[in-house]
Amino acid sequence: MTTDRRLRLVAIVLAAVGLCVAAYLTYIHYEGIKPVCGLGGDCEKVQSSEWSKLAGVPVALLGLAGYAAILASLFVDREEALIVGALFALAGFGFSAYLTYRELFSIDAICPWCVASATIMTLLAIVTTARLLLAPAAGRRGAVPYVG
Amino acid sequence: MSTEREPTKKERRDAARAARIEAEQADAAAALRRRRLRTLLAVLGAAAVLVVVAIIVSGSSDSNSAKSRPGVAQKSAGAIPGQKESAEMLAGIPQSGIHLGSPSAPVRLVEFADLQCPFCREYTLQTLPQLVQDYVRSGKVRMEFRDLAFLGKDSVTAGRQAAAAAEQNKLWNFVDVFYFNQGEENSGYVTPSFLHSIDKAAGVDSATADAFAASAASLTPIKQANALGDQLKVSSTPTVFVGKRGGALQQVEAGPTDVSAYKQAIDGVLGQA
Repeated sequence: MTTDRRLRLVAIVLAAVGLCVAAYLTYIHYEGIKPVCGLGGDCEKVQSSEWSKLAGVPVALLGLAGYAAILASLFVDREEALIVGALFALAGFGFSAYLTYRELFSIDAICPWCVASATIMTLLAIVTTARLLLAPAAGRRGAVPYVG
Repeated sequence: MSTEREPTKKERRDAARAARIEAEQADAAAALRRRRLRTLLAVLGAAAVLVVVAIIVSGSSDSNSAKSRPGVAQKSAGAIPGQKESAEMLAGIPQSGIHLGSPSAPVRLVEFADLQCPFCREYTLQTLPQLVQDYVRSGKVRMEFRDLAFLGKDSVTAGRQAAAAAEQNKLWNFVDVFYFNQGEENSGYVTPSFLHSIDKAAGVDSATADAFAASAASLTPIKQANALGDQLKVSSTPTVFVGKRGGALQQVEAGPTDVSAYKQAIDGVLGQA
């Protein structure tokens, strides 16, 4: 298996797990139920804070859309798909970092689900960036590399 | 002396071609790397712009995430938010302790809440007025407010003052105005002056209320609410139960602003009553 195929597989697994986390957080946001929140976290406080929405859109829903876009990009063998995947993952990473900062220093509460999502997004940013730099030209991915 | 033979012309040509292809491939790979690096820089720039925009929007977004009742977004002059709306919603409806509505109402609705819980705020500001208007005012439903006061120190302080308001049969006014003015959870915002402003808007006498809130008796309704909550296996707030007066209670499975689900549950019980 080539390096790129391995990276792509890792990214697919990460994006799928992230999608599940974001889907759960979106579901509880709209249902108004209290999340299952272990490890001494306070998810309700985080999820009901002013930073839980962006221009009226729950950040959980934005995360869901982001993971879905990244996951979709991983199944398209085009140069643009690499760019889209990396763009969403890097933007997601930046915004997750900001939200984690807000959790720690403004809300004073940690939501393990949100930390899990931030971690997944960080890993996705690394993997998609590596793919953007290392992947062979589009259409050649997965092909036996030319050895002369 | 070397025994190696001279490469043939064809071999030389092949070797040259292989070298040329290799060089071309190396060039192409280098070009691809350069292009990808430029792309990455552009992507990083674009991602940074997106994040900065998101942060700016996030910082300036409505801190008032729960929508107010229609047409009551702003403070009315001289009054604290919610004073007028609470008075209008509750005018003429009998209150007794934690209860709202006629004692002979056929349906009992029990709400488990915490004054600091944001979803309880959404329920109170968006769902409650319609339920009061359609069912309590007409004598079909009697509500009771069970304050679990479990979210922290500010919840207990607020809960004790709410218990004092209940002593004056003004609990529902107090709770409604409180939710209108709910602050950041456990930030220490539930100060005596904050509570007094709620008292004033709710028509509660602060001096009497302060004395009661300082007494051990003000913890009794909270203890009772928690005992009942444990019995009914309440695990979050708001949790609402409905049932026939004197009969078994059933939990309403609904989001805090899903008015139709609450109405359906009440109508179901009314149908049996």
